[in-house]
Amino acid sequence: MAAAVRARAPRNRLRSLFGEHPIGYLFAAPFVLFLIGIYAYPFFYAIYMSFFDYFFSAPGAEVVRPFVGLGNYARVLQDPLFHIAIRNVVIFLVINVPLTVGLSMVLATALNSAIRFRTFFRAAYYVPYITASVAAVGIWLWLFSGFGLVDKLLGPLAPNPSFLINALLAMPIIALYVTWKGLGFYILVYLAALQTIPKELYEASKVDGASPIQSFFAVTVPGLRPATLLVIVTAVITGANFFTEPYLLTGGGGPENQSVSPVFLIYRFGIEQNHPGYAAAIGILLAIGVLLISGINRFVLERP
Amino acid sequence: MATATTDLVGAPTQQVEAQGPPEHRKKVSAPWLRLFALSLGALVFVFPFYYMVVSALQREPNPNISGAFPNPGSLSFDNFVAINTAINLLRTLLNSGLFTGGVLLGTLVFGGLAGYALAQLHFRGRQALFYTLILLLVLPFQLLMIPLYVLIARNFGLGDTLLGMILPFAINPTAVFIFRQFFMQIPSEMLEAARIDGASELAILTRVVAPLTRPAILTATLITFIGPWNEFLWPFLITKRLELEPLAVALANYISTVAQRAANPYGTILAGATVLAIPVVILFLIFQRQFIESSVGSSVKG
Amino acid sequence: MMSSRHALLAAGVVLSLGLAACGGGSNAATGSTKGSIKIWYSNNAEEVKWGDAVVAAWNQSHSSEQVTAEQIPAGKSSEEVIGAAITAGTTPCLIFNTAPAAVSQFQKQGGLVSLSSFSDGNSFIEGRTGDRASQYKSPNGSYYQMPWKSNPVMIFYNKDIFTKASIDATNPPLKTYDQFLSTAQAVVSKGGAKAAIWPSPTSEFYQPWFDFYPLFIAQSKGKQLIENGEPQFNSADGLAVANFWKQLYTKNLAPKEAAQGDSFATGQSAMAIVGPWAIPVYTGKVKWGVAPVPTKDGMDASAIHTFSDEKSIGMYSSCKNQGTAWEFLKFAVSKDSDGKLLDLTGQMPMRSDLASAYPSYFSAHPDYKLFADQAARSVEVPNVPNSVEMWQDFRAAYSKSVIFGSQGVDQAFKDAAAQIKTLVKS
Repeated sequence: MAAAVRARAPRNRLRSLFGEHPIGYLFAAPFVLFLIGIYAYPFFYAIYMSFFDYFFSAPGAEVVRPFVGLGNYARVLQDPLFHIAIRNVVIFLVINVPLTVGLSMVLATALNSAIRFRTFFRAAYYVPYITASVAAVGIWLWLFSGFGLVDKLLGPLAPNPSFLINALLAMPIIALYVTWKGLGFYILVYLAALQTIPKELYEASKVDGASPIQSFFAVTVPGLRPATLLVIVTAVITGANFFTEPYLLTGGGGPENQSVSPVFLIYRFGIEQNHPGYAAAIGILLAIGVLLISGINRFVLERP
Repeated sequence: MATATTDLVGAPTQQVEAQGPPEHRKKVSAPWLRLFALSLGALVFVFPFYYMVVSALQREPNPNISGAFPNPGSLSFDNFVAINTAINLLRTLLNSGLFTGGVLLGTLVFGGLAGYALAQLHFRGRQALFYTLILLLVLPFQLLMIPLYVLIARNFGLGDTLLGMILPFAINPTAVFIFRQFFMQIPSEMLEAARIDGASELAILTRVVAPLTRPAILTATLITFIGPWNEFLWPFLITKRLELEPLAVALANYISTVAQRAANPYGTILAGATVLAIPVVILFLIFQRQFIESSVGSSVKG
Repeated sequence: MMSSRHALLAAGVVLSLGLAACGGGSNAATGSTKGSIKIWYSNNAEEVKWGDAVVAAWNQSHSSEQVTAEQIPAGKSSEEVIGAAITAGTTPCLIFNTAPAAVSQFQKQGGLVSLSSFSDGNSFIEGRTGDRASQYKSPNGSYYQMPWKSNPVMIFYNKDIFTKASIDATNPPLKTYDQFLSTAQAVVSKGGAKAAIWPSPTSEFYQPWFDFYPLFIAQSKGKQLIENGEPQFNSADGLAVANFWKQLYTKNLAPKEAAQGDSFATGQSAMAIVGPWAIPVYTGKVKWGVAPVPTKDGMDASAIHTFSDEKSIGMYSSCKNQGTAWEFLKFAVSKDSDGKLLDLTGQMPMRSDLASAYPSYFSAHPDYKLFADQAARSVEVPNVPNSVEMWQDFRAAYSKSVIFGSQGVDQAFKDAAAQIKTLVKS
């Protein structure tokens, strides 16, 4: 590698072909191989399946799987369950993303300053994130059921039907649950990112007579922009892919299928009912949608 | 976990980089208000966890308000004993450790290399690779699961092996994304200077970049760790051998058989969940110190 | 199509297809090959005990045909695991936890061996199970599953709660819908129970088996959800059952929300609708009694049919030593092994001579006699294509109209019947 650096001059042609640091290929190679094997191959398999009335069969079994062209896509786009699932993702993102970005940014800033019990607080916000979903869902089931603590504390104000079986409240509860569960991670991202903001900027802003709140908006928020992009993209991806919650928290997408998500439908159609072609079409439409949203985010937030 | 980190950090320079605590901007205004707000938030966040532990310590579940504040005299470890009889906690914890350790090693080494290449090395196809990464990040695992299972169990013959369990998670793409975002923030002049001094790219990565970006490494570690540690669907599909079963799988199996028949499944399930959570809490508390000590901003400036 | 597939997929897949073809995975000539085999059995404690004992007994006398057993979960994920294992060709020879509702799908996947292709296949199955065996035949007339054990669904009731509500606890009025409803009302208002009965109100496809379906089978005198491609639930009987449950939900006698843990064992609900596997769970916690499921105008217990909640044994096409597998299968459902199953688990082997085969057991366990009697009139889920999908659609209609009442039952059932009719044809 050292030789590569010394032998720069005669390698100009190679450099124009491969770029300035061809060693990048070597560094990225294991990851690229991984992506090909673990993601690209199944992904292309999924695209392939989406054009067939596909089902999984035993090796060697002779089965007929008719080609249906765009038939699966057409059916998915007309499926009322898919419409509900997309609506649910929108509800989810509208609640979850602003809450996640706002709360984690503010909390990280507060946790970054010298306060009492800082270690305790940081650990506290991290705890839901590390708790296994199975356990966390169990606790929420218990807290938010009609016989649970929350309903008891609310008394007459408790909703009827109760949270998790209320068609209007099931999705907001899921969004809140995911916010709660994931916030600790996003706080850590912001905490790490806060270390990269030069403290001189704060001093300068203080000299200019800015209040802490003013300097939060003038220095912190712009300084955290790369981290915010990371947080939003990750939150959108998580939000578009939520599955455990309708699976466990609302008992199979209930009530009345009002909390189904696209990934839950992939699971239901593809794995439970063995129509992976149809499920794959859902997955691919979902991926396209998320890519569009991420692309817009990136465009908005990474503009110089 | 700790060893996996040192593999990448490696260089002794990290001691020098670790500067004093970041008490650099003490704010005087309304510290009590902030403390109050933080406490309120912390209560919301910790309470369910506390509730889990307290419920695990009660023989019978008590869904009333008083159940959250039980009489200390009525607490017992019965549920922990019960779950340990149903599941070999030690062996399954060890398996969880091996599974997670393998994933962590792969992610930190290969993911770190890839993240660095994506952020700081100019080679043709870099942008394409980055967009591919974003594309793949959005793919739901449920969509890929069966083809992946066929690939790994049938084509690679890795069913019932630890490697087969690790492989789909071996490099966490989100961690690569995090690495890339953080490595982007290192001024390229700094790396250019090192290159002019004759340092190899690997040396730059381990001696210059890694020590500066400990928060990135820790963040990536944390996000990577949680995945395999709590994952139950994949390892459960890929192996039927009890000797290889991680705790999360054992617990999920226990729930699927017991939840429908036991009178008090919650006590034992929550006891299992507590055991599953405790190693992570401990590791986090250890990591936390390092997290606070590192300060890439001041290092870059210096 | 095949060529485009090959062009698309990686070379590895082609290779594996070739390998699989060499292995001769399909069920052409049924193997008489002998040798060691692998089986999967359910992981609940009682069945593990039974499985270990049977495997040990077999292995002792068959040193060249050893059986190794591994556990799979008994819960909802086992069908997924089996489906995935079929696809990868990693299924064991026998799975002692095959749900009849999944058989049509596994068969379509080419994952199951037709047991009828063994020369004594049909005669063995029918000899053991009798007339009920025909319910387990696939549409092509062959058996792809060995009916193994059933858990005929009945009504359990909590004697203490009933007594407290001043209801006769030895012979409670639960025969007709009207009786059942007034009893339900009493146990909630006077008995102090949170719920009269608490079937899971969640949306999984298999939930109808533990609310609507047993009562429908009883009310219709033994009809399946669909017969000869015709949905049967959109009928006077089906609507009567649905409206009965609807009343329980509207009067808040059955909660619309899932219970935490077993509501009957914890005394939260006064009744449960469940099979005999639950007896070991309830004994010692609740003083329970048992009654057949209700019908609209009441029927004699000896005339009531119910849902079997049966589990079958499947032989999987990846099995090399099918000769041994068949022999072991017969060994595992022999009179001795079945007796052991009854003894250890309390579940009912699918034998036509159940009560007379184990007289000492039933005289020692009078509780189980009623179940054995019901087992003789148990009805299965229909063995039709797209079975899981059909149940999911039915559940959606039921949940909307009966549990949450946001649509009329008549309309919901009519729509579901039309949808399901096209579904099972394909």
